[in-house]
Amino acid sequence: MRDLEQTLTQIGRELEWPETPDLSASVLARLEVLPPEGSAAGAEPEPPGTEAAPPARRPSRRRRLPGLLPPRGLRRALVLALVSLLVLSGAVFAAVPSVRDAVLEFIGLQGATVERREDLPPPPPIEPLELGTRTTLEATPERLAFDPLVPEDPGDPDGVYVSDRAAGGELSLTYRPSESLPRARTTGLGLLVTEIRGDLMPDFFQKLAPEGAVIEELTVGGEPAAWIEGAEHFFFYRAPNGEVVEDELRLAQNVLLMQRGPMLIRLEGAFDRDRALEIAASLR
Amino acid sequence: MEDRPPNEDELVARAKRGEPAAYGEIVRRHQSIAFRTAWVITRNAADAEEAAQDAFVKAHAALGRFREGAPFRPWLLAIVSNEARNRLKSAGRRERLALRVAEERRPGGAVPSPEAALLDSEQRDELLAALEELSDTDRETIACRYFLELSEEETAAALGCPRGTVKSRTSRALERLRARLEPADA
Repeated sequence: MRDLEQTLTQIGRELEWPETPDLSASVLARLEVLPPEGSAAGAEPEPPGTEAAPPARRPSRRRRLPGLLPPRGLRRALVLALVSLLVLSGAVFAAVPSVRDAVLEFIGLQGATVERREDLPPPPPIEPLELGTRTTLEATPERLAFDPLVPEDPGDPDGVYVSDRAAGGELSLTYRPSESLPRARTTGLGLLVTEIRGDLMPDFFQKLAPEGAVIEELTVGGEPAAWIEGAEHFFFYRAPNGEVVEDELRLAQNVLLMQRGPMLIRLEGAFDRDRALEIAASLR
Repeated sequence: MEDRPPNEDELVARAKRGEPAAYGEIVRRHQSIAFRTAWVITRNAADAEEAAQDAFVKAHAALGRFREGAPFRPWLLAIVSNEARNRLKSAGRRERLALRVAEERRPGGAVPSPEAALLDSEQRDELLAALEELSDTDRETIACRYFLELSEEETAAALGCPRGTVKSRTSRALERLRARLEPADA
């Protein structure tokens, strides 16, 4: 085998690769020389606090969006596509311009963003969840680029699902409602745990929360987290190419989003923050 | 003070602060491996160029969340491979990976290296033909590990699989490649 490996390496060094184009000029032209996220001029990165952060405006964070999203024309097209979807589904997306513009608060985590908006459209109808293929915990390693974590509290899930819509795979664990896990209106479940490789999927989960929602920046296990409570918020996926995955737009109830190493973990349910933190602390 | 080229951590820090020149330098340093990785996946130079370009733009947008001190290349290659796979999916076509050995690349009249001397062109063609018959996953694994000479961590990022899986995938891909070569040897 060693000979074959050496032969392959040798051949690799003699391969005729297509000529590498000079990408620096075209990339820089596309960046519009905007600073990337978190590069607030002269500002130190804000340490995530354990107390609820005041809903301060973060104009510097706001600026990152144009760089992350497709060009403006395409963004407009995406927003319009979203409008069409909502109109088709019976909703009226009357406040599109303000939805796009009036960001009151922005939280960026590895793999997710949360925005508090001044105005939000009427909610879409609640649809069955699309969690991927049903499987077992034992069978997940082949399809996931991370080691799944399972909360010891409440224990083994009632359902395990894997989807490939995220790079590295997306794992969903479902728990039926119980005394300690009341039924969430948005999912019909007691608890929904979702795990992805957040470092591979910037902004995979995106949330738009209404003005009345509580958004707290927290530290869980020494890593950044966010708690969203008080008002159902919009939740949708963003494909790796930045496009909104339109048919995945849905409402979400209370959610704890947390980073754990390269992973982003999302706990959704009708429980309160303390209960969410208990579940988070039991992830193994 | 000695005028030395900035190291990657410095460049990333400067790019995070919004210095276009620093990010331009990052792109120049990594564009070759990014483009070639994308080409291995898309098997089309135009698609690979677009995928690599999009990946650099998205990496820039996500720089704020890049962990300080972490190696940049695996992180970038994960984004590149995502872009390349999306492009492959949307293109809806499968081209063969046109691997050719550049005979003329050897300096004229130069004595070939001892390893190269052991490999005649027939052997190379045979091996590349056998490689073409492997599954996409096997071929990409071999291309990442041996042709692009990526580390296990970088290969895992490019293939979107756990690092531990790279070893087993490589081993299985080599076994299958050897099996395809053996009947001809016998």
